[in-house]
Amino acid sequence: MEVIYFLIPLMILLGLVMVGILFWAARSGQYDDLEGSANRILMDDDDPLLPDRERRE
Amino acid sequence: MAIHAAGLEGFYARMPSDRPLAPPPAQTEDPAIFDLADVQAEFVRRDGDGLAAELLVEGIHCAACVWLIERHLGQMPGVRGVQVNLAARRLNVRWDPQRVALSGLLEALAGIGYAALPYDVDAVEGRLQRTQRARLYRLGFAAFAMMNLLWISIALYTGADRGEHRDLLYWAGWALATPTLLYAGWPFLQGAWTGLRHAHPTMDLPIAIGALATYGYSTWAMFLGGPQAGVYFDTVVNFLFVILVGRHLEGLSRRQAMSATHRLMELQPRIATRLDGDAAQRVSVRSLRTDDRVLVRPGEQVPVDGVILEGETAVDESLLSGESTPRARTSGERVYAGTQNLDGAVTLAVEHTLADTALGRIARLVEVAQGCKAPVQRLADRIVPWFVTATLGLAALTFAAWIGQGFEIALMASVAVLIVTCPCAFGLATPMAIAVAAGTGARRGILVKTGAALETLAGIDHVVFDKTGTLTRGRLTVVDSSWQGVDEGSALAAVAALERRSEHGIGAALVDYAKTHGQAAAARTVEGFRARPGRGIAGTVDGRAWVVGSPTWIAAEGVVHDPDWDALRDTHETRGRTVVIAAVDGRTVGLFALADRLREDAREVVAELDAAGLGVTLLSGDREAVAGAVAAELGIEAVVAEVLPEDKAAVIADLQASGQRVAMVGDGVNDAPALAQADVGIALGSGTDVSVECAGIVLGRDRLGQLTEARHLAAATLRTVRQNIALSITYNLVMVPLAMLGMVTPLLAALTMPLSSLAVIGNAALLRRRVPETLPTGPAADGVEPTAVAAGHAEVSPWR
Repeated sequence: MEVIYFLIPLMILLGLVMVGILFWAARSGQYDDLEGSANRILMDDDDPLLPDRERRE
Repeated sequence: MAIHAAGLEGFYARMPSDRPLAPPPAQTEDPAIFDLADVQAEFVRRDGDGLAAELLVEGIHCAACVWLIERHLGQMPGVRGVQVNLAARRLNVRWDPQRVALSGLLEALAGIGYAALPYDVDAVEGRLQRTQRARLYRLGFAAFAMMNLLWISIALYTGADRGEHRDLLYWAGWALATPTLLYAGWPFLQGAWTGLRHAHPTMDLPIAIGALATYGYSTWAMFLGGPQAGVYFDTVVNFLFVILVGRHLEGLSRRQAMSATHRLMELQPRIATRLDGDAAQRVSVRSLRTDDRVLVRPGEQVPVDGVILEGETAVDESLLSGESTPRARTSGERVYAGTQNLDGAVTLAVEHTLADTALGRIARLVEVAQGCKAPVQRLADRIVPWFVTATLGLAALTFAAWIGQGFEIALMASVAVLIVTCPCAFGLATPMAIAVAAGTGARRGILVKTGAALETLAGIDHVVFDKTGTLTRGRLTVVDSSWQGVDEGSALAAVAALERRSEHGIGAALVDYAKTHGQAAAARTVEGFRARPGRGIAGTVDGRAWVVGSPTWIAAEGVVHDPDWDALRDTHETRGRTVVIAAVDGRTVGLFALADRLREDAREVVAELDAAGLGVTLLSGDREAVAGAVAAELGIEAVVAEVLPEDKAAVIADLQASGQRVAMVGDGVNDAPALAQADVGIALGSGTDVSVECAGIVLGRDRLGQLTEARHLAAATLRTVRQNIALSITYNLVMVPLAMLGMVTPLLAALTMPLSSLAVIGNAALLRRRVPETLPTGPAADGVEPTAVAAGHAEVSPWR
């Protein structure tokens, strides 16, 4: 059971890495707008800006 | 230093000497720069002979903070008024610049532990983001510590506390709990300390004492307690985590409550074209000064409120007035920021910019409403410090009662009492409901100026309506037309073809009229179209020269005066109708009479008020016969006609004297005194004139049907406030005795406390769904007789 002396600190370290990832995500603005991204994925980049243009091409 | 303005020493003298001033929290800039006139110009506005500003305050999270700030600043010399908006964390302060400097106010705020920044929409977003992120970091760290402590707890509960690894697990728990308390719990510790030092305890105090006591005891037990003492690091961490989750959700919903106001301000353009001599330059609206000249090109948004110096154009003012017909505007007339310039380039002299514009005033109305406190709310503000003190007393009592059973049991029971009490729910009950109501209303075009107005509207007995522009459209419709010597159908089509090109209100009325008579204008070819805003139009349709417009325009275009039409013209004009003459090839052939007509939803609204058992009165400056006809049409029995504006207020006062609570619905400057006199004034329309200043509620979409919606909103708000207060009181009545009896563990207490806050917030948020949105009823078909209301046109010239 001596391995526990190694595993417990390791787990805490692992958790700290997770916290670090959360901090990074928050800092890069991923939590600033929780609604926008959900909608953004539905919009295609190549949608015509004007419905007319589609017809002409 | 500039901050040592005369009034400031007075402030220092007032501070009790045994209570040192706290070091101000990190202020991004030297407060003295806020005393510079240039800097102040951006966010300070004049208020009578003093100044007023909107400040964003960091660190407000409870009704107790509101109370503390208002009391602390309110007692400073030179401060005229302080109001804190809990939902938006904003502070509205009015002061006398002769006696105190703005930097002095900021420093006083810093002294009690709040960092304040001048409120600016841009800055707010950045600041909010920062606090929100900091909270998220703390929440994330607490979550990490909590999850790790959970498995440690499982190990300990299943027997490891008697095994060889006990010390290791204790150490791991301690290593996790210590940074959690110091980092994630820091806002609570800081808030508790500030509250203690200023003898205004906030909700942070019981939380901090609870966390510190549990942590301190567990640490002592771990090092010195021997094998029997329990360790409660998991309790400390769990309860900090749960409370942080509550604060985070609270923060999110607050931010949502604010966003409606922001959107209003964002409708203004930020850049304008300034003319310096002949050179045009793109500059920020912020840098414009009064009387600068600004060029607005066709198709651009008007960036400022100003007076036209040169040029004429049509302006779409639907943003402000809800009326979709463009208005003709020419030199000397005023245009408003956020409206759309349609067809002509104009030069403006700047009058107001940004927050001083009509649009900015509307945004501020919403803000004031969100910060305004109903009488119920002021009560809650006063109660919180007592509540906290009582909590501490009860916790001490619990501890004393249980100490006979052992230190550990006594500690846990009293910690549970500390955690379980929640004046936060009580403090949030009213402001959350009012903030949500104001936000919901704003999104639907109902601007609520004060929370009190909403409360009163819910209990109204009598509604008084103004006639012109309120029950009637205040907009022209063709009520009669006659023709001579031409085919009526094709003539109408030709007129419509011309008028389609005009953006004027009368043009639209004529086009509508042609449409209802089955004459589409599209097939006609129009050449040489000319228009003079406010006068008339001319052009060649299918080879014939048409002139349509006011009698003076017709004459100016060289049409020979034809006395045959005079009698008909006189009949209409004496009834207050507007006459438009059509001529072809220099000969008068047709005449239109235009008048105001009833709003489509007027009858419905009156019937609905009747059904609700409210009294309805029609109040009009018009002649008895006209007012009576409208009243009969709508089924209103009480009519007071031929009243002067100042007497309108007296009529309201009479009703009030008979013990009724009266709402006045009106739209014009002439209704302003009555709106102010009534228990609730409800203004219809644009938000640009005096009537809006006097009204408690503004129906911004120019639909009378919104009155019904506003009444539903008011009723739902009052109901929600009562529910919220009942909810928080019930919660405390149930949970506190249970905790004192030792039946609630600190962890359970930590779970239920934010739950009560969240229940109150959630209940308030539901308000949005409780009020059904009334959709605009389409233009009623021929069912509604176009009641020619002769009134009003004497007051309002149609040829604007």
